[in-house]
Formats: sequence, structure tokens, C-alpha cells
Amino acid sequence: MADETIYQYLQREGVSRRQFLKICGALAVTLGISEASPLLAAGLTRPTSPTRLVAEALASKPRVPVMWLNFQDCTGCTEALTRSLSPTLTDLVLNKITIDYHETLSAASGVQADENKRMMMETYAGQYLLVVEGSVPTGANGNYCTIGGRTAVDLLQEAAAGAAAVIATGNCAAFGGIPMAQPNPTGAVPAYQLITDKPVAHIPGCPAIPEAFTGTLVNFLVFGKLPELDDLNRPITFYGTTVHDRCLRRPFYEAGKFANSFDDEGARKGWCLYKLGCKGPTTYNACAGIKWGGGLSFPIQSGHPCLGCSEPNFWDNGGFYQGQSAPIGRPTLTAAGVALAAGAVIGVANAGVNRLQKRHADTDEETTESLSG
Amino acid sequence: MGSTDATLVFARGPLFYTALMIFIVGMAYRLVSVLLLGWKRDRVPNKGSKLRGVAVTYAKGLLIFPFIPWVKKTFRGNQTTYLAGGMFHFGLFVVIFLGTAHMLVWKSLLGFGWPTLALPIVDFLSAAAIVAMIALFVNRLANPVLRLISGPSEWLNLLIVFLPMVTGYGLTHHRLLGIVALPYENLYIMHMMSINLMLIWIPFSRISHFMFYFFSRTYHGAQAGKRAVMP
Ligand code: SF4
Repeated sequence: MADETIYQYLQREGVSRRQFLKICGALAVTLGISEASPLLAAGLTRPTSPTRLVAEALASKPRVPVMWLNFQDCTGCTEALTRSLSPTLTDLVLNKITIDYHETLSAASGVQADENKRMMMETYAGQYLLVVEGSVPTGANGNYCTIGGRTAVDLLQEAAAGAAAVIATGNCAAFGGIPMAQPNPTGAVPAYQLITDKPVAHIPGCPAIPEAFTGTLVNFLVFGKLPELDDLNRPITFYGTTVHDRCLRRPFYEAGKFANSFDDEGARKGWCLYKLGCKGPTTYNACAGIKWGGGLSFPIQSGHPCLGCSEPNFWDNGGFYQGQSAPIGRPTLTAAGVALAAGAVIGVANAGVNRLQKRHADTDEETTESLSG
Repeated sequence: MGSTDATLVFARGPLFYTALMIFIVGMAYRLVSVLLLGWKRDRVPNKGSKLRGVAVTYAKGLLIFPFIPWVKKTFRGNQTTYLAGGMFHFGLFVVIFLGTAHMLVWKSLLGFGWPTLALPIVDFLSAAAIVAMIALFVNRLANPVLRLISGPSEWLNLLIVFLPMVTGYGLTHHRLLGIVALPYENLYIMHMMSINLMLIWIPFSRISHFMFYFFSRTYHGAQAGKRAVMP
């Protein structure tokens, strides 16, 4: 059944034509497809409605199986995805298009799941999409994280070898996340450092925004490739602007109205959270636009500054509640004291040299005077 | 890791601290050298109060003369220098100490913060300071005497102070300056880099007058007070 199209597969799963078109419409919205779609640009199709574009793609493309591996993570990205409030999409990804293997969700099936995974790697070699959640420990020969007696490094490399592309979801898989935070006891690395010969898309976040994940996944299913990525390999559609750029508190930032604590008047009035450490200005993510819980809210709207969880090293880049403008870390008082003392010592030495020179000059003068006199 | 991100972390972290340490070493060196230059025992009995002399000179220099500048010879000599200079120093002071973003830097270094002014006020004064700097530059260029006594270090001083100011202003208005369309991070990196350069440069340049000004005013005030000739 390797050549079955997505539409045929969905039909077999009991999806009616009407439902199918609804799904396509939802997908088109997620992908943000407008007239200038990649297919259009490539001259592959006539201008047509976005829904039809997606429908045509799904009706002609073979279904792409998805394998999901969990390593050093909290499964928060999976949690966010399975609990996301966009039923059509989640349902589609989890139940219809199916994730054929999910390390955590399939765990209860034991060896059978393992067998399933092996078959999948054989049948769909070079075709399946690999999703990675969690960072990969390389310390102690990779033994900090083993599944079924095999190390995460081993499992990842084996799975990546047959994948068409990789999606690293969450900050841990994309940038190392909390496991890689100083002092990084397990020698954790992000997935892309171990996968060098496959395209890797990053959907960082703690957790990743479910819509950003599904959108990227669907882009791959529909167009057969990963969406356009930025220099950190994040899809530009979702990570193209900063949280600050779309923040609903932005007018207060411009007006210089800040909350000074979490329970002052400014906080109650919904003023800007910059002084409370908001990292919105340097954080690229779609929180302020897509929001969470089906567009209900996002941290800043709920009164908490942005932590910058979609950026590399967000855990080590200064305190969460320290202003964005503050320097990262702080030199100790000792260091400052040593610097002061060092400066003073050089100053004293310099003064000493000056005096010596002066004395020399004076004696020289005296000698000259006495000689001429 | 993206190069922008890594550069910003470096500029805000290790590089900033290195620059700060060089600044401290340099300023301590300068101060001690100057102090030991000619510290002679004072054998002349006081005629008046040293403290009074110091108080009077600060009151006049910082509180009174700025508002009645025409009584000063420096003002009559070159109004542009006096007015633009005053505007620049006042703006800079407000931005550095009463701007929210900068107060947070002090807070992280000193461990305590203080109330700041509303952004529009700070913003206006920083724009005024930038305009003042441009005026000072043109003045230096146009005035034949000034140009004659300006060496490379004078021009460099202007540039090295100017860079943090424009990048800082751009940083606050990265969106309004849509025409330039420089992302916040890039401006932030440029701002930090120019600050770091300035910190390293200050001790070895005449910008160090921010410290020696108080030093010499205090000294001369005290000397005048001692002789009972009010400054
Ligand atoms: S709350 Fe954060 S993201 Fe929103 S305007 Fe203020 S600094 Fe920017």
C-alpha cells in the first residue's frame, strides 16, 4: 500500500468527500496558502482556490507515514499537540494521516510497536517523515537515555537514515532545551547535530505551538517538502516575526507604560511586561498571533512575560525576570575589586616612574646649572 | 545556532564584561596616576571654608549658570558649543540614568533599581542629544579655530559616543524606522558593540572628563574656598 494516495487512504478510513474538502480547507488556512503558492510559482497549477490546491495535492500524493521519537524530553510537545483545540487538524494528524509510530503513545504495545517500527522503516525506506522530540545525550557513550536497551544516538541515527526529512519539535530537539542548559550533565545535543545529511526543520518552543507543528507537517504532506526556513531552520510562516512585533501590549511599550511588579496597577491595567523580563523583542514565534488553547490566550496576554522559549539557549540567556536590556550574567564583586586594584597598582607604578623621571630631570638641571655657573 | 543569536549573547555577556573590566582598570589607573602626580602637603592656613567653596562651585556650575548662560564667557564665545553641549550632556544623563532599559542594566549590576521617566520624555531627550551632537560636529567642522585644535582623537570621541546613541535610538524605534527594516537583534548587537568599544575607549580619551570634571571642580572649589575667594 506504499503507493496509496492520501485521499485514497482517507477514503479507506471512512472520510467522506465533503469531510475531505473541509479538511483541505482547514489545511489551506494553516499553510497560509494564497495565490502565490509554491505550486503556482512553479507553474504546476492554474490559479485556483486554496482548498482545491490542497485537495489536488492530497489526491495525487502518496500518504507519508510519520515516525515520532522521544528522547530527553517531558513529552510536553506531544501533550500540547494531543490537547490542542483545533480538532480538524489534530484529528487529521493523529488519527487519519496517522503517526505510525510514537515512542510514548505506542509504548504500551511493547515489542509489537517495535516490530511495527522496523517494518515501517523497511517498507517506506527513504519516504517517511521523522519527528524528534527531546535532546539526545552523548555523554557516557549515550547511556543517559536508552530505550529497549539501545541508546538515543543509535535509535536516532538508525531512524534518520531512512527518513525523507526530519522535524525537530520543541526547544530540546531543536536547540537542546533544558537538558542542554549549563552545565549540561548528559552532554545533550540537539537533533540536527547528529543528522547532517537530511533536511531538518525546527519547531522550537516549550512546548512547540501545535499549529506550527501540524502546519509544517502538512506542508510536507501536501507539497512533498519542508516549508521555507529561516537561518535557525524554523518555518518562516510561523517564526517570521517576533512576539514583540505582534504583541497586544505593544502600544504600552511605545508609550513607556510598564508593569513594575506582578501585582501593581500597571500589571492590572495590562501594561507592557518589559521591566519584568519580557523576552518578546528577541523571540521569534507565533504565540502573539496563533495563541494557545485555540486562540484563547498566550503567556503575555495572561500577564506573564515571554521567556523566549523558541530561541537557542533560552534557559541560559540571563534571568527570566531580568530585563531584556540587562547584560547576561553578572561579574562578581571580586572581579570588579580585582579590576579596581589592578588599575590602582598600574597607576601607582606609573606615578613612581613619573617621580623618578622628575628627580632625574631635576638633578640634570642642577648639574647643568652648577656646570654653567 | 544562528550567528545573530550567538553574537548578541556574546556582545551582551562576555564581551560586555571584558569591556567593563577594562574600563574599571583604566579609570582606576588614570585616577591614581593623577592623584599621585602632585599631592603636596598643605602648609598654608585656611582663610575660608573649603566645603563652602565646593558647594558654591557646584551650585553655580550645575544649577545656576545653565539657566543664565549669557553671564558666562564660554557662552558669549560660542553659543552653539554652549547650548548644544548642554543639551547633549543633559540628554545623555537622562537617557543613561532615567531610561527604563538602562536602569535595568544598572539594576543588574548594582542589585537595586529606581523609578524611571516615561519613554516619550526619554525618547525626546535622546533625540535632542543626537541633534545636539550633530550640531557640535558641524560646529567643530565649521569653526576654523576649533578645527585647528581638533586632532583625530577629537573626531573619534564624537564618533564613538555618537554610535551608541544612534543605535540605541534605532533600537527603540526599530519598527518606526521601517524603511531601514533592521531587526531588533541586529540593532541590539550594534548598540552593544558600540557601547563595548566606548567603554574600552573612555579611560584613554578625554571622555574620561565625566570623572575628572567632578574631580577638578571639587579641587578648584576647595582651593578657592580655602582662600575665601568664591568661585
Ligand atoms: S509585553 Fe513583551 S512582547 Fe509585549 S510589548 Fe512588552 S516587551 Fe514587547
